Amino acid sequence: MKRHLAMLAGIIAACAPAGAAAQDMKLPVMPNSVRFLVIGDAGTGDRQQNEVAAQIVRWYAQFPFTFAIMLGDNIYGKERPQDFAKKFEEPYKRLLDAGVKFHAALGNHDDPNQRYYKPFNLDGKRYRTFKEGNVRFFILDSNYLDPEQVKWLEKELEDSDSEWKIAYFHHPLYTTARRGPEVELRAILEPIFVKHGVDVVFTGHEHVYERFKPQKGIHHFLAGGAAKLRRGDTRRGPLTAAAFDRDRSFMLVEIIDNKMFFQAVSRTGAVIDEGILTSRETAEATPAPALPLVRSP
Amino acid sequence: MSRTWRARSLALVTVVSAVFTFGCKEAEPERSANPTDTLFADFAKRVDSYITLRERLTDSIGDLDPTRSQAEIAARAVALGNAIIASRSQAKQGDIFSPEVAAFLATLIRQEYKRRSEPVLETREDQQDELPDFEPKVNQIYPTTYPLATFPPALLPVLPALPEEIEYRIVRDYLILRDVEANVILDYMPGAVPTGG
Repeated sequence: MKRHLAMLAGIIAACAPAGAAAQDMKLPVMPNSVRFLVIGDAGTGDRQQNEVAAQIVRWYAQFPFTFAIMLGDNIYGKERPQDFAKKFEEPYKRLLDAGVKFHAALGNHDDPNQRYYKPFNLDGKRYRTFKEGNVRFFILDSNYLDPEQVKWLEKELEDSDSEWKIAYFHHPLYTTARRGPEVELRAILEPIFVKHGVDVVFTGHEHVYERFKPQKGIHHFLAGGAAKLRRGDTRRGPLTAAAFDRDRSFMLVEIIDNKMFFQAVSRTGAVIDEGILTSRETAEATPAPALPLVRSP
Repeated sequence: MSRTWRARSLALVTVVSAVFTFGCKEAEPERSANPTDTLFADFAKRVDSYITLRERLTDSIGDLDPTRSQAEIAARAVALGNAIIASRSQAKQGDIFSPEVAAFLATLIRQEYKRRSEPVLETREDQQDELPDFEPKVNQIYPTTYPLATFPPALLPVLPALPEEIEYRIVRDYLILRDVEANVILDYMPGAVPTGG
């Protein structure tokens, strides 16, 4: 009997993060809202990726998102068929089986041939756009931003009449982490984003979580910690709105009309950041709640 | 799509020629033809020749459409790579980046690096550790154990446009030409990229 009780206690302890997740879920989960998962730098195939994936599945039970955006470095190292199984198909099997659609951007560790891998939904292209509800997403290949891609982006942005315009790609335009922001990329992309009213930018590359105060009206999120971690790598700066570098993390986002609700969640299920944004088109940005910075001592 | 690159390349030749002609006006008397036209046209011809060969190979191997099977993607890349390597078994360094073109491109790259602001130089310096550290060879499969270093976005508009089948990449201080789908290094220029920035 004692042995059974000990086992039960063990099981309860193991499930604790899931319980914490249930209490901390604050996203509205409204019918017909646009709900998605954000993961970056995920494709290691190691224990940490699988733990994050398991945590995502727990949140999925309460927050049934319909698609996921991947911020690059989708498959680290070798890209044999068994690597795609180990580093993508197996960790996210439950989500794939449930019909969650993954939309990948290419990172510097990704073979551009990933664009032919159907589950990444790049349709054979290095950059593309897709629409979900009132949101238009622009996936860029920041590894190789040639003039043709820039021209394509300008045209697609100009043609878009979506209420929300969200761009995502691998390299961060803003970060306090070790390698610093891609300022050369920023010099090209930021004026285009500003001109065409991009609301939100998601990037990865650095293995931490960071959110910045709106820069020229654009909200920047860095979510590159879905498997790898650079512990203690963020530095609080004047642009920092929130940061987390103590564990792996992912983001959950819900868009309802002109409001974007978000929560960033750690590998153990703790909410590390959350807030509400308003689209540029409809109103002045509502400042997201200022949350205390969470970072390594 | 590969056919449209020629028009873009020609447009760049015109722009670069104009810039260089303007830049050289004070030092040299006006000439009837700009040598950069000839250089870039020669480069375009060499690239075009490779694309013609490649199209012949893909005609027999087949195009790749999005597929659920990574095995199919990998098999096709290997088949195309092997066919390219076999067809270019005599290829050597400088076949596409001819010495004259290489010297001119190296000048363009150096000039672009000199124009960089301090923050850009700092970023590039911070990212030096991401540059793949191997010695490229013609007809070498780009080692899959190395990432593809991010190509400086401000440098791409300076270089001649390429068809989508091939791309520039940086390995150490080399500028390389790489077949994107076959992952084969087609040519390289040593010492083309300033190190440390």
